[in-house]
Amino acid sequence: MIALLIANSLALASLLIMLASGLALMYGLRDVINFGHGALYMLGAYLGYTVAQVSGFWLALVIVPILLAVVGMVLELLVLRPLKARSHIEVALVTFGLGIILGQIIIFIYGGVARSVEAPTMLSGSLTLLGLSYPVYRVFLILMGLGSCALLAIWLRFTRSGLFVRAVSQDPSVARMMGINSDRLSLMVTSLSAAFAGIAGVLAGPYLSIDPGMDVVMIVDCLIIVVIGGTGSIAGAIVAALLFGFVQVAGSVFLPNVAALVPYVLLMVVLLIAPGGIGRGRVLS
Amino acid sequence: MLKIEGLSVNYGSLRALTNVDLEVQDQGILHGVIGPNGAGKSTLLDAVCGRRRPTAGSVRYRGEDITGRSVAWRRRHGMSRSFQRTSIFPDLSVREQLVLIAQHLGDDRLDDIIRLMDLGAYLEQKAGRIAYGVQRRVDVALALIGRPSILLMDEPGAGLSAVETLRLFEHLRELVSEQKIIAVVVEHDVEAVFACCGMITVLDLGCHLATGVPSEVRKDSRVIAAYLGSAA
Amino acid sequence: MTNRAPIQKNLCDSSMTESASSSWRVPATGAAGVMLFGFGGLLPAYLASDFTLKVANEGLLLGMLALSVAFLMSEAGLVALGVASVYGSAGYLFAIGMSEWGLTPTIAVVFAFFALIAYSGVLGALIVRTNPLAFMMLTLAAGEMVSHAVMLEAVHDYTGGADGLVVNFKGAILGVQAADFVNPRYFWPIGWTAVWLIGVTLWGVARSRLGATLRAVRQNEERMRFSGFNTYLPRVIAYVLVNAVAAVAGLLHVLNTGFVSPESLGLGVSTNALVAALMGGTAGSIGPLAGGLIFAFAQDEFGARGATQLLTGVAIVLFIVVLPRGVVGSVVAVLRRIAPGLVWLRGKA
Repeated sequence: MIALLIANSLALASLLIMLASGLALMYGLRDVINFGHGALYMLGAYLGYTVAQVSGFWLALVIVPILLAVVGMVLELLVLRPLKARSHIEVALVTFGLGIILGQIIIFIYGGVARSVEAPTMLSGSLTLLGLSYPVYRVFLILMGLGSCALLAIWLRFTRSGLFVRAVSQDPSVARMMGINSDRLSLMVTSLSAAFAGIAGVLAGPYLSIDPGMDVVMIVDCLIIVVIGGTGSIAGAIVAALLFGFVQVAGSVFLPNVAALVPYVLLMVVLLIAPGGIGRGRVLS
Repeated sequence: MLKIEGLSVNYGSLRALTNVDLEVQDQGILHGVIGPNGAGKSTLLDAVCGRRRPTAGSVRYRGEDITGRSVAWRRRHGMSRSFQRTSIFPDLSVREQLVLIAQHLGDDRLDDIIRLMDLGAYLEQKAGRIAYGVQRRVDVALALIGRPSILLMDEPGAGLSAVETLRLFEHLRELVSEQKIIAVVVEHDVEAVFACCGMITVLDLGCHLATGVPSEVRKDSRVIAAYLGSAA
Repeated sequence: MTNRAPIQKNLCDSSMTESASSSWRVPATGAAGVMLFGFGGLLPAYLASDFTLKVANEGLLLGMLALSVAFLMSEAGLVALGVASVYGSAGYLFAIGMSEWGLTPTIAVVFAFFALIAYSGVLGALIVRTNPLAFMMLTLAAGEMVSHAVMLEAVHDYTGGADGLVVNFKGAILGVQAADFVNPRYFWPIGWTAVWLIGVTLWGVARSRLGATLRAVRQNEERMRFSGFNTYLPRVIAYVLVNAVAAVAGLLHVLNTGFVSPESLGLGVSTNALVAALMGGTAGSIGPLAGGLIFAFAQDEFGARGATQLLTGVAIVLFIVVLPRGVVGSVVAVLRRIAPGLVWLRGKA
């Protein structure tokens, strides 16, 4: 029973990690919160649905992130960069507005109905692991989650750009003074963040549902995770995503009547105990 | 009046200050704090004014242990601080911000500070638009409001020319002597410090090296070795 | 030394505000204000159709919400994305107070108001400590939390779930009959008066020491702490204040429409309030009210729901990037260039 709980938590957390780390990266680097991140996720999901219908799930998993990375680049070049001089709040509000616009466009194109995506045959069904029967797709999700964590860690630890991102996250003013090309770095981070949102969107299809409200649900979840993790702390965001996933799944099992509120209670408790979040981020003023 | 005992501050594994003992009693003179980069000078100020929680040790003010007190509390009880990176209110006029702080701290004699910091000509201008040197003076002026008994200044001359720095120090020396303030001044400009300070403390790599009158400090072999070596 | 006396006198005299130095301006402004208030309150009830008044009433309520969002933004630099949760909850609490606990309408109103003050106090105490961006995120989350709470199966009997609640009451509140609240012609003066009172109050707070403190904290929170200020309490107070305004608006809303649903406290309404504030201009009190009215009529014009939400998003982007001062703010700025004598036209003129 507990193993099932943990497995389900990991599956959900994997999705959340992909989304929240992208958000945390952008915030850590640029003090920008992309309120349209949920809309990007939704775009990834609906695009994934369309591509999967035409050419199958696996191709969707490859194409959609690329498309979303392009969208990310457009966001960076046409919106974030021109608005560099504006206050962070104003930029956040603009992304909020853009998120609404994107969401409405998607609804307009696809109609306001929920869609379902079938998992590819290779990933459907269940397998028996340690005496328990578990859906293959969720195992796949967990592996994808682990993989993205690993990739992220390797990138941050061992590459030059990763080093820069870490430096800027810790002390933006000093790092910028050292002549790190933050423009190029931002472009990379924004596209990566969008691409990951795309992957998460495609993966969400067979796992959750694809519906018109998913952008709001996901952005709220991500924002909660980023705040709990300490905005800007990527490690914190990952831990927070795991915590969130566990709390959400446990809540739906043990307290089904109030399950929807459990993540918020978690948020309030964390704010009470550690107002700065778990990680060493920059939530406090 | 100000007693620092065994003060240590660590940033993670970096030891910024190690076991510093310092007693500052002399009112009416400038007490300079110098040391090479990384000596822990700013950290010392941060710990004393409450901006940083020390890892170990205590800060005693008028005999009372204030290590746990908030920044705002310390200010209201007479311990004031100015900043290395100018920290003022850019959208308020010079007058507006001085009045705001003065009203809060119950100080109705701003004209002295304005005269001393030479801000008379800039009162109606938005602080964000005046020259850097004037902004520095506003930063210091904000710290002077409310007749503080201890003044902690972090590189007040930062970004100013040598002449401006010297003039600032002279103004400060005048004020501090008039009002019998205890003033601890962290400063890089060694010339100004030796010229205007009555007492000097030298830090190096987070440790306290020496404290004394300028002539003694100048001759101290440890200080020469660590810091003044090439300059002396 | 010779400068001493004049500087001291000016400094001691000066307040944090722009004082109207000319002697005729203050009474003239006051007279203009009273006239505007009087005519605005009485004329539309005679001149406009029921339907126009209905839309205008919505505009008034949205204007109140916009006033609260605008005040927090311009004074404290904080964006509250969850005002609707208090707005809608006022209606729910009012209804539940009467139906579950048998409170009289007046008591139910008072109960709902103070319950929401308490809620916003607690929430504010928790979230105001964070930086403005985190604050914005948290208000969004808190708003969604309330939306979820209302839809829970566990409270379905109280809140009616997705269907919402029809709220009828008999009797009077403060002498005004139930039927009067619902009648557009009668509601308009009530709403108009409420908006003016709120607008003047907020304007007054902005000009007070609290307003000056908030603005200074917004510019440099650290320095304020280092100057002996408690930077936390003023912001909590401001947060409770704007939520009080939202609660009043929410109560008027439920009295006027006799209905409350999850949509009343949803993100959509919060976003509309934000757009109305941005459209009108966040500085001063006239802007947000104008923004509310403009938005209500625009929403009525553009009919189909999908279009309005899209336009809402467009409006946010537009008004931040292109017209940061909003419509009213831009008009005022233009007027100032044309007629410099009108420089006192700031805030509630």
